[in-house]
Amino acid sequence: MKNNIRVERAIKNITQAELAELIGVSRQTINTIESNRYVPSTVLALKIARVFGKPVEDVFSLDEED
Amino acid sequence: MKSHFLFPHWFRYLGLALFLIHIPIVIFKKEMGFSMHGETESDSLFNSHHIFFMTTTLLMAIGLFFIAFAKERIEDEQIFKLRLDSLQWAIYVNYILLVVSLILSKDTEHILFLNLLVPLVFFIVRFRWKIFQNNRLINKEEGQV
Repeated sequence: MKNNIRVERAIKNITQAELAELIGVSRQTINTIESNRYVPSTVLALKIARVFGKPVEDVFSLDEED
Repeated sequence: MKSHFLFPHWFRYLGLALFLIHIPIVIFKKEMGFSMHGETESDSLFNSHHIFFMTTTLLMAIGLFFIAFAKERIEDEQIFKLRLDSLQWAIYVNYILLVVSLILSKDTEHILFLNLLVPLVFFIVRFRWKIFQNNRLINKEEGQV
């Protein structure tokens, strides 16, 4: 699964730590999601999308391998 | 995120303390006590050797147990997954070692002891190592920015 959290964060001008605090996870978790080492649960994906005010599909998209 | 069946965070330090306490006791006993081994041994379950073995082993096992299953500061789903992965690894390693040692050795007391120790120790090491790797990657990124 691909994501463009890094881009969305840049648009909204928030750091990994700030995003992590907004959705109640650790900074490491945001980092592992951004670098595609961890696929978040649906709940977490929805929370992240809500922070950016966009539908989940705008933030996360399927990879060819999925 | 709700985490089930985990101890509070400070249990990690309690566990560490218990584990550290048991080491000097065992060393002390090894230095001092093995001359007594055999002569005081009776058939009763509660001879001094058995009671000593029981208490130190319990101290160690409970200590490791607390270290392994104390909550992280921020307990989220990624940590939960790491924990589950590490547990799976620990069980694999334990059973491979168990089978190998059952084939190669008849020393059941030590096999039992190993079986008590390996899953928890391997789990703790693997889990901590993964967390350490995650932290290192974050620090690396910060270095680049």
